[in-house]
Amino acid sequence: MTFYDIAHESWLSISGNKMRSFLTVLGIVIGIMAVVIMVAVGETVQQSITDQFSSLGTNTIMIRAGAAQSAGVRSGNRMTLTMDDVQYLSQLPDVAAVSPVENSSAQVVYGNKNWSTSMVGVYPGYATVQNLEMEYGTFIDMSAVRNAATYAVIGPDTAEELGLPKNPVGEVIRVRNTPLTVIGVTKAKGDSGMGSQDDMIIVPITTLKKRIVGSRFPNSVNMISLKLYQDADNNIATDQITSLLRQRHKLKDSDADDFQITDMKQVMETMETVTGYLTLLLIAIAAVSLLVGSIGIMNMMLVSVAERTREIGIRKAIGAQETTIITQFLSESILISFIGSMFGLVLGVGLSQGVGRFVLHYNVPFSIWPVVVSISVAVVVGLVSGVMPAIKAAKLNPIDSLRYE
Amino acid sequence: MKQTPIISMKKICKSFPLEVGGEQQVLFDISFTINPGEFVAIMGPSGSGKSTCMNIVGALDSASSGTYELYGKDITTLLPDELAKIRNEYIGFVFQNFNLLPKRNILDNVMLPLMYRGLPIPERLERAREMLKLVNLENFETYLPTQLSGGMKQRVAIARALAGNPKLILADEPTGALDSKMGNEILKFFKKLNKEMGITIVMITHEFEIARYANRVIHIYDGHITYDGPIPKNETVLLKSEQKARRK
Repeated sequence: MTFYDIAHESWLSISGNKMRSFLTVLGIVIGIMAVVIMVAVGETVQQSITDQFSSLGTNTIMIRAGAAQSAGVRSGNRMTLTMDDVQYLSQLPDVAAVSPVENSSAQVVYGNKNWSTSMVGVYPGYATVQNLEMEYGTFIDMSAVRNAATYAVIGPDTAEELGLPKNPVGEVIRVRNTPLTVIGVTKAKGDSGMGSQDDMIIVPITTLKKRIVGSRFPNSVNMISLKLYQDADNNIATDQITSLLRQRHKLKDSDADDFQITDMKQVMETMETVTGYLTLLLIAIAAVSLLVGSIGIMNMMLVSVAERTREIGIRKAIGAQETTIITQFLSESILISFIGSMFGLVLGVGLSQGVGRFVLHYNVPFSIWPVVVSISVAVVVGLVSGVMPAIKAAKLNPIDSLRYE
Repeated sequence: MKQTPIISMKKICKSFPLEVGGEQQVLFDISFTINPGEFVAIMGPSGSGKSTCMNIVGALDSASSGTYELYGKDITTLLPDELAKIRNEYIGFVFQNFNLLPKRNILDNVMLPLMYRGLPIPERLERAREMLKLVNLENFETYLPTQLSGGMKQRVAIARALAGNPKLILADEPTGALDSKMGNEILKFFKKLNKEMGITIVMITHEFEIARYANRVIHIYDGHITYDGPIPKNETVLLKSEQKARRK
């Protein structure tokens, strides 16, 4: 028998029982579709997490003040980090950029427009740390920091909300009665929601502390954000930072850190692990329906063997060998499974892409491996569910099967 | 020159295991030889063992003991797949109930043994069409078996049996499902095949009138051969041989 013969015979058998074959195929369609969609959901979640982190960069490390423990109780924000720490950190070999970050909220006024947004006081290094690029104007420079200049860099969303002209450089906005001259607008990053970098006002940290908030501790820093060189090892850098800060804060070996380091790479890895497990769980659930579908194939094949006992007898009488019969039945179940998988794949990809694009307006990543997986699953499912019926068919005694009514 | 017999059976015994345990023997020391060009009828009442004998002759079943040579080749101890190959190459089957594949057209049915032989499709088509022409069904290629009369179905079955160019045609009650007119037509066709094409035919029947078409009768009764020879004038000879066996 040639490959054509086998495929032709299988197709004739399957198409000879249209309704039954359709229902069996449907089981596989649903199974594969569920798996493909769940893979897409998982990948979408992972992609969106990666997107959010990549706007920050995984080689970003954040150091927060406080979080020291006394008698096992966290004692809140102690002002343990200083501007001097920032200077020392900037001299570490792996550190590409560093900036203190002082967060505040601000009610901004421009003309008759009023907008509530977040405000950060930073160093020039902040632009590098946060991967900020300028649409208009320039970022804050060190002399602005030294002079506590009343300059502000604003996000594109903020500019729009305030009704600033397209290029607002030189315009004056007011925050808590402090007039700030806009010296730059950052490029849109496209993220939204709380802490969006497109909706914020960036000022020199000195300006924020001295002029806007009026802090009593101008030298203390709540948070330091730093960026490592691309080839730096986050763990080594974290160790260096820890030992530098412990040394500078004169902590004894028995003392706990009076600061808290968050390595974005670690955070991302943790998130990815969690979503990875989540995806696996979803796929496992979807795989159950695929399993049910494959049981459907096996069931159909068993019925088919029983129904076609006589046909098998005839075929064997005129010279079909056991291996030929096995091949024929296996190829029938593989064909069913293959057809089901192809439809399931198309439907799954279509649905996930369609719903993602047109309903959620999110670019669902399309990867090749659901295709590879569904084709392999098709073959495996077909083989596994076809083996038992096929062997059963092949082992039929030709005499008995010829007598079978 | 001594010709190789088509079938040479020596002391063939066959027993079947019983569900309650033990075995039941249905064939006892069956020995006969069939030469090329013979037309042999195997007769016997139902339950005599003639079907079992036929199954062994047709390589559908193997004997419990004894040796069976088909065309000089000992096939007694072959495995199922080897027997399948033998059936495909040497034997053409014609069954009482035709045993055509109901969902395949006539041409497909005739081509089936050639597919299992691994012939390329054009050759299969050519050979199958030739055979359909031989049985006068060349205009029915695309018909399904259900669309044909019993006699036509049996002719298709004969075409299928002949397609593989077998040494031997085994016909199991070939007229059992046909009325006497169509039955006679089929038997005449067998006779023609035997005479004109020299095809060896072994036919199973329980009717003496049908056995008359053959040149030789092997009568089986209760698992034993009671008569092996030319067609007797009437059936009483065979019945007497049965009685003789019963007395033994």
